[in-house]
Order: sequence, then C-alpha cells, then structure tokens
Amino acid sequence: MAGKKNTTPEQQQYQQLQQKHEKKRPVLKNCIKAFFIGGLICTIGQAISYFYIYFFNFTEQSVGNPTVATMVFLSMLLTGFGVYDRLGQFAGAGSAVPVTGFGNAVISAAIEHRTEGFVLGVGGNMFKLAGSVLLFGVFAAFVVALIKTLLGIWGGI
Amino acid sequence: MYWIRIIMALFVLVCLTSCAEKQQMKDSQLALIKATDPKPVVTDGKKGSEQAEDIKHDVSSFPEIYDVAVVKGKNGALVVYKVKHMQRFNMKKIESKVTKKLEGKYPKEKFTVSSDYKIFLEVVRLNEKMRAGTISNQNADKRFKEIVKMTEDMK
Amino acid sequence: MLKGQQSWVFTNRPMITSTGVTGGPFEANGNLAEDFDRLYEDLWLEQDSYEKAQRVLLEDAIDIALKKANLNKEQIDFLFAGDLINQITPSSFAARTAQIPYFGLFGACSTSMEGLALASFVINNQGAKKVLTGASSHNAATEKQFRYPTEYGGQKPPTAQWTVTGAGVALVQENQPGQKNPVITSATIGKVVDMGLSDPFNMGGAMAPAAADTITAHFRDLEIDPSHYDLIITGDLGRIGHDTLAELLKKSGLNIQKGQLADCGLLIYKEDQPVQAGASGAGCSATVLYGHLLNQLKQGKYKRILLAATGALLSPLSFQQKESIPCIAHAVAIEMNN
Repeated sequence: MAGKKNTTPEQQQYQQLQQKHEKKRPVLKNCIKAFFIGGLICTIGQAISYFYIYFFNFTEQSVGNPTVATMVFLSMLLTGFGVYDRLGQFAGAGSAVPVTGFGNAVISAAIEHRTEGFVLGVGGNMFKLAGSVLLFGVFAAFVVALIKTLLGIWGGI
Repeated sequence: MYWIRIIMALFVLVCLTSCAEKQQMKDSQLALIKATDPKPVVTDGKKGSEQAEDIKHDVSSFPEIYDVAVVKGKNGALVVYKVKHMQRFNMKKIESKVTKKLEGKYPKEKFTVSSDYKIFLEVVRLNEKMRAGTISNQNADKRFKEIVKMTEDMK
Repeated sequence: MLKGQQSWVFTNRPMITSTGVTGGPFEANGNLAEDFDRLYEDLWLEQDSYEKAQRVLLEDAIDIALKKANLNKEQIDFLFAGDLINQITPSSFAARTAQIPYFGLFGACSTSMEGLALASFVINNQGAKKVLTGASSHNAATEKQFRYPTEYGGQKPPTAQWTVTGAGVALVQENQPGQKNPVITSATIGKVVDMGLSDPFNMGGAMAPAAADTITAHFRDLEIDPSHYDLIITGDLGRIGHDTLAELLKKSGLNIQKGQLADCGLLIYKEDQPVQAGASGAGCSATVLYGHLLNQLKQGKYKRILLAATGALLSPLSFQQKESIPCIAHAVAIEMNN
C-alpha cells in the first residue's frame, strides 16, 4: 500500500493518533554526531594518506588507492570484532558514508552468511547490501561519462 | 562503553605518532603541515641560481599560493607550490595560470609545475640533502629527473 | 466453550503445572534475569549457526519443563510451538528431537498465546491429558531474516525494537484440584487488523490497534469489566505501541487504571540497555509470561492477569514490496487455582 491514497478514513485517523506517540529521530543531534564521527574517520584517513606519502612512493593523486584499502581493512577488523555496528548506531551517516561504511556493509553480510557455506553463503550474499551501491555507482559513472563524451563531440568542450 | 574506548585509543594513537617526531624536526618532516619556504636549488652547479630566485619570486606573487619550492635542473625547472586551503577548488585554474606566466617570462626554460604534496616533500628533501652536501650534483640531477617523472605519472 | 464472538471460556480450568524458560546473554543482563531457568553466556549456544542456537533454546526449555514436572517426553500428548524463522524450522527441528506429536504454529510474536489458547482448548475438551506449548526467538537469527546483518552499522530509529533471545515453554494439563498452580480461564482469538502502517522499524505502532481490538473484544465477549484483572499485559508493543494502546483503550471507553496496563517488551530489559523502544519477538511474551509473570502469580502479587500477545504478520518480502503490516493479537486470561 504505497502512499496515503488508499487508506480508509479509519486508518488515517489511527495513523494520526499513532504519530503523536511515535518518537521522532533526533535529527539535529544525529547530524552533529555524524559530523564529528565522520570527521574523525576522515582525519584518520588523512593521517594514513600522509603516512603513505611520507614513507612510500605515492603522490597525492595515487595515494587514494592504498588509503582506501587500509580504511576498508580497518573497518573489516572493527566489524569482525563487533564494534562497528555500535559505532553505526551512535554515528549514523557519520560511519556509513565514508568508505569504511561500504567495507562494513560487505563484511557484515559475509560474516552473517558464513553459516550457509563459502559459495552460496559468503559468495552469494556478500554484496547483498553493497551490491546496489556498486550497481548504481557504476551506472551513474557511465551516464556522467556518456554525457561528458557527447558534450565533447557536439559542444566542443 | 566499549567502543568509546576503542575510538579514544585510536585517537591517542594518531596523536602519539605525530608527536613522537617532535625531537629534532627537520623541515622535510613538517613539509606537509606547515610552510617551509625552502630556498631554490640548482642541481647544475652555480649557474642559474638567480633565475631560480626570480622564478620563486614570481610564483610566490600569486595570492592563492603560500609556499613555493623551485629546483632547477640541467634541462628544465620544477616548480612546486601549496595552494591556500579555500583556493584548492581552483587548483587546475591556478596551475594553468602559473604555467602560462612562467612560460611567457622564461620562454627558453622547460617547466614542470605541480601542486602535489608528495612532489613538494621530495623537493624539500632533495633541497636539504644538497645543502648538507650529502648528495653529489650528478645524483641530485638524477633525483630531479625522477621527481619530474613522478609528476608525469599522475597525468 | 465459545462465548460471545471470538472467546473461549475454559470451564475445566486447564492448569500450567510446569514451565521452562531459557534466555541469552542480553537477557542475563536484563531486568528479569532471575526469572529465567537457564541463561546462556554466548549468543551461539555452542552451535555453528544462530538458527541452530534458537533450536537449542527451545529444546532446553522443553527439557527443563519436563524435568520440573518429573515427566518423560512419551507422556506428553502434543506440542504446540512456533517462531519467526522462515518455515518455523527451529520449532519443527526441536519437535524432531522431542518426538512429541506436533502442531507448528505461526502467529509471529503472538505465537506464544496462540499456542497457549489452543493447548488450553485441547485440554479443556479432553483432547489430551498433557500438552506442551511454547515459542522461541533469537535476536541474531531474526535480525538476519527481517533486517540487516548483525554487524551492519546501520542506525536504528528510536521506534525500533530489540528481538529477545529466548524460549518459553509451558506444560498444560488437566486441573489438579488443590494444587497451587496457575490456571487458564479464558482466551480471546484476535482478528487481523491493518491500519496501513508500513514501517518495519515501528512494529509497536502497527500492532497497537490489534491489541486494542482483541482486548475490547475480550471484555465484550466475557461481559466483564477491566477491574476483573489485576494486570492487563501486552506482548511486545514497546514504548510507542504501549502509549498508543493506552490511548486507544481509553477512547473505546474501557476503564483501565494507571499501572494496570503493562507490556512484556518494557519489562524484560533495563532502562540503560540499548533496545530503543523495547523488546519484541515470539520469545518476548513467552519468556516473560512463563517466567516472571507466573512467578508473580504464585507469589500472590497478582490474582488474575490477561496477557494479549501481539504479532506483526509481515515477511521480509512483503515489506520490500511496500505492503502494509497486518497485525494480530491473542489474549489469554490466567489466574491462580483456589
């Protein structure tokens, strides 16, 4: 039953009554928490990328790859030790939006379905949550690249 | 709570690793964080050091730029600079402006222009080594070419 | 015996002679820890999957209930059990172990009272001598099926509820006059009520009308007043559903005193446990009733209670297809044998 169109007056009346008691998400508080935890994660990421620039032969352009790999690895450890879901409950988008959130989505699904075996369980379910991120990420990149190419041909940018 | 302790531990770790290097800071150790303002160096003897000074002066005159390092090698000059934080959105524009100005003023020179921290760091390191005399001119020039190659890799 | 539209009155007063209640580590830290017969330190229960762990919870609860009553499995006529996992496999697998003739039930979180009502009906009408009934749920197994992986760092809204890890089993048999045990006096079977809510993170709000419908039907059918009961307790409405129900009952004209209405989902955990709006799951009402509430009845704190267990009859598929959440509630009245 999508949308409010199909509801009967009785249902609408109840939904209004129910809304009074429903606890709202504390949006502002969540935003502030997300800001600081997200900022903290990004600061750690920045520290790691400086580490790679400083001690290894990576430039600012190429340091992204090892940094992302390290961050995903760290979030994998935190997920495995059962810390990341608690962090997620506290920080919300702050821990979901950085790349560590993506790592968490992949690893948590993999751990969850380990009991169904490696092929059908881990392999089949690993991208249960992250799969749509990948699909629409790749698709969006394709569309943007297509537009840019077409503009380049027709518009001469 | 459990995870707050984890975050604290990570935070302290980050602080400690950065503080541990406090003793005897060389410029290169801080090159990523603060303005080092290194003197321009010339790998090829004494020739052209005045020109290098001029180049540095010219680049420094851009209001968006706050730290400039110049190395002049046998065939070409490497100009690295840091862009003020809020101007980092205009990196590409600034780079083309700098290149244009330099090429207009010194048409004979072959310029490599970069704003990459890594390149800056390597230039400062090279600079220090040359000043300390721990590197021969020949090796310095070799290193110079390597750094220039590094800038080409990322394009 | 049928009374009114949808209620049974059990004139032979079937008796709960023994119970078995098991719980997980989160319940061990909760409010009612001492009312559990066995608490496990580990969510896995030494099994290699959460589904197996849930099966063990139920098996152990059955064993405990039988041991307390000094009975063998062969002496039990039927087993009424159910849970939330796919094709109620934990219950069926436990029934395979127990080798007791078995009815598998599904009423989501209302399964516990559905089972108790049916068991009482069978005993009341001489369909059997001894019947076991129970329900179980496991936090991680249920989350896995209905929500996200356990370790996924998604933020749950304050309306979300925490699925109980636990199983509660009761042995129902014919009335033994003179024995100090709780007896089941009546039951009301609920209709499916759908108020068009579709947020799976707000089950309490969706289930409250079903509870209100069943509770008002109970008083209408039995022609009694809410003051008949010391306590009217719902299964797993949580904070939001509980408040909504109080208002709905007030509107329907039932005179319920403050403190007379309670919710299992609000009793089982402590305030500082991170459960958002409260507890839920088939094991919630089963463990609280067969553990805590029956103990309180025996201690004489309450004389008569009415437990209305609510269930949200959704599946992971149905809410992804944007269907609303139909809900049901079954009420069972329990009092001490005099």
